[in-house]
Amino acid sequence: MTLSDHVTNSGALPSLARTIQFAGRRQSVIAHNIANASTPRFQHKDVSPAEFQSALREAIDDRRSRTGGGHGELRLESTRQIEVTDRGLQFTAETQSGRGVLSHDQNNRDLESLMKDLTENQAAFRVATELMRTQAGTMRAAITERP
Amino acid sequence: MYGSLDISTSGMIAQRTRLDVISANIANKGAILDAEGNYNPFRRRMTMLAPGNPNASSARGRELGVQVKEIALDKAPFRLKYQPNSPHADEQGYIREPNIDTTTEQIDAMEAVRAYEANVAAAEAQKSMLGQGLRLLA
Repeated sequence: MTLSDHVTNSGALPSLARTIQFAGRRQSVIAHNIANASTPRFQHKDVSPAEFQSALREAIDDRRSRTGGGHGELRLESTRQIEVTDRGLQFTAETQSGRGVLSHDQNNRDLESLMKDLTENQAAFRVATELMRTQAGTMRAAITERP
Repeated sequence: MYGSLDISTSGMIAQRTRLDVISANIANKGAILDAEGNYNPFRRRMTMLAPGNPNASSARGRELGVQVKEIALDKAPFRLKYQPNSPHADEQGYIREPNIDTTTEQIDAMEAVRAYEANVAAAEAQKSMLGQGLRLLA
């Protein structure tokens, strides 16, 4: 294992990176839903955060059983909606036809839950970036030998 | 991730266009002549929205977002007004007025403004996420 691999794959960094990728991608799906809030016959689309979280949990468990958890590569498996590629995550957003009340224009808009999704997603992104910043700060302290 | 800002922008553009159309409808509520001065009452305009944004820079961006597909004419019949002395009155003394109802337009305008605000909120969220992402580097 190279030194740089030790640095980039240490601790929670790989799972934080995946969380940031997921939240960044999901943001565009939510923005798409909001932009189409008054488009006739538009049906709400989403990727399930629960599906991502369970895939992430499996990957973390797998890493723990392989290396003990503190370091090593995080092998996230592709799921039905999320494809894991070298360039990040690719989404297949699914239509949520059962969600919300169908309006006269055949649009199942539900602005409140869209706004809730938006806030939730933003919070997840903030948590992941802040944690990553803290880890980077620790690393910087170790490199500069200054607290 | 810059793509999400494109999506919210397309939403704002669409809602602003819709509001422009509504303003034109209200402004032309009494217009029974066309621009050349011929008797041709103004027909109500309607904004037709569709998913997808052909102006986006990336392929994924073109799939997401919203666009104004067309501005269509409302086929509803003109309102008749009894005005026997008008030069445009028919044999029964009625003139045709634009098929515009200001109440409908006002409600439509409110909806467009709210939808615009929702897009602004999404763009704000996106902006703060971008800021947080950049702070990782600093």
